[in-house]
Amino acid sequence: MSSFLASRSQLRSWTRAVAGRCELIGPRREGLSNWNYGPLADGEELLPEGYRPSVVPPGRLMAPDQEVLFEFRRDAEGGIEFVPAAAKGERILFGVRPCDLRAIAQMDAVHAEPPADPHYAANRARTRVIGVDCLRPCDERAFCAATGSLQQREGADLFLTPSDDGYLVEALTEAGRTLAAEAGWPACPDAAARRERAEASRPQPFGRALGAAPEALPEILRRSYDSPVWAEYAERCFSCGTCNLVCPTCYCFEVCDELALDGRSGARLRTWDGCMVPDFAVVAGGHNFRPGCAERQRHRVKRKFEYLTERHGLGSFCVGCGRCGRQCTTGIDILDMVNAIVAAEVPA
Amino acid sequence: MSGAAARLERDPYLPQRGRIVEKSALTARETYFRLELEHPLGHGPGQFVMVTVFGVGESAISITCGPHGEAWIELVVRRAGSVTGVLHGLEVGAIVGVRGPFGHGFDLEEFRGRDLLLVAGGLGLVPMRSLILSVMAEPGHFGRMTLIAGARTPAETLFRDELEAWRERADTQIIETVDRTEHQPWDGRVGLVTEPIPRLELDAAKTRVALIGPPVMYKFVLLELATHHAIPAESIFVDLERRMRCGIGKCGHCQINQLYCCRDGPVFRYAELTRYPEALR
Repeated sequence: MSSFLASRSQLRSWTRAVAGRCELIGPRREGLSNWNYGPLADGEELLPEGYRPSVVPPGRLMAPDQEVLFEFRRDAEGGIEFVPAAAKGERILFGVRPCDLRAIAQMDAVHAEPPADPHYAANRARTRVIGVDCLRPCDERAFCAATGSLQQREGADLFLTPSDDGYLVEALTEAGRTLAAEAGWPACPDAAARRERAEASRPQPFGRALGAAPEALPEILRRSYDSPVWAEYAERCFSCGTCNLVCPTCYCFEVCDELALDGRSGARLRTWDGCMVPDFAVVAGGHNFRPGCAERQRHRVKRKFEYLTERHGLGSFCVGCGRCGRQCTTGIDILDMVNAIVAAEVPA
Repeated sequence: MSGAAARLERDPYLPQRGRIVEKSALTARETYFRLELEHPLGHGPGQFVMVTVFGVGESAISITCGPHGEAWIELVVRRAGSVTGVLHGLEVGAIVGVRGPFGHGFDLEEFRGRDLLLVAGGLGLVPMRSLILSVMAEPGHFGRMTLIAGARTPAETLFRDELEAWRERADTQIIETVDRTEHQPWDGRVGLVTEPIPRLELDAAKTRVALIGPPVMYKFVLLELATHHAIPAESIFVDLERRMRCGIGKCGHCQINQLYCCRDGPVFRYAELTRYPEALR
């Protein structure tokens, strides 16, 4: 049996027990209207009303900014010793929405492509993911149904669906089944019917619509390489890279060294970087292989809807969370841009 | 599995130690280094490594020696930023980090039994040397070799003694050229690397071409080749430069449309690049 029913209070007492033995991370309100994933304190509400996608996607915890790749120390003879990074403990990432589950599953594939990234793999392996379904759009920016991520389950160990006063809990992995067994929730005899009822309660249409099916976009984008739309959007873009930093499927990074004050020891770090930043493709000597803002926008959009999608075959790598449009200073929204491309491409 | 392979398997971000055992200035900006490594790299021509100056950072550097199975490599480094700047100041005996080899280099099978036209602009001669030494290590297996080596000024020319020695070999034509002499002594040609191309005698069906140089060079060399010699795009190989930070197709900086220069390249068959508008811009 891998379906259970848990009331809100049962869920809360479970997370309280879990938080005693490992880190519990979940969505928390920051300021008046922002959300971010962070350590959940005892007594904090698990799934409060009014959640909007966190500013920083939860999947970014698998490859955090300023992650240490290795530490080094210079010995007395001038040699170099490497200090392996200490292993980190298990953690539970609670309350991950389908759009972010889709992104996590896609990032798993990206980082597993040989040669695999061992740092991502280590963080992923120590994280149990508890997903939760969305029965209404989080806000007016969402277009997860259009990108096909609303149905995403893969990536979660346990998946919660609001049902009556509590939650239907489905265990999707061996780790999830272990967690559920420890929690001791009662089995759910009518999981399929509850799931159907929950899904049927969703408003239609669910969020915004794409101007073309995601499967058609790679070809449309290829034909639109020289579209004037790129420049129209670039005109009001500051090239600040915020859209990259808040995207759940952006994972580009810069590498740098930090030296301790003793001058003998230090660490190699990777820091988040983004293809919208003007010097992203600059080489030694100063040549910039992507100098124009319009071509950087094109690259970002093609990466989401064409390049990564075709390379990994896991659906649209834009998961429709709406974060880039929500955070952009000038309101550049990737959905608007793609729809403008589609509209310019296919005359009405 | 060799030690190096096991290490790469374990953590592709962790460098091995390399000790500088030889260092000499080639020009005002370029310095030659020979490093002794912990494990053999087993590199091929056209591959590159990531070189660490601990505490400063890491830079992608072309390998300039030909393939061999031993635990050393030769690099030529241009002083261009903080990492290469500090590297230039290191003395013999100093320890640096080396990751790699990375990328797809030149496939010698494509060149065996063929005539070779090699065009190297500026620092492009550094990785080209790894191909030239591979060819010379197998006498009789390749046809005629023509090398056009260009530099901006006589003071910026590289490996002149070796070019002299290669010139002595049968079936080898070396054309050295500088963009301008700037009143420095010079006994070679003056002009761009494109200028000797029209008058070359090439058997188009039998020739394989390798191009390595600054971004601006490719378009004009390809134009000259197309105008004066009917060499098919399948027979032309280009070694492309991009910003590289990880070497394993993850960090995103080297992307050329959907290609990752560090992993899918840096050497590409020209015919395969026509679908990628960012490649030769």
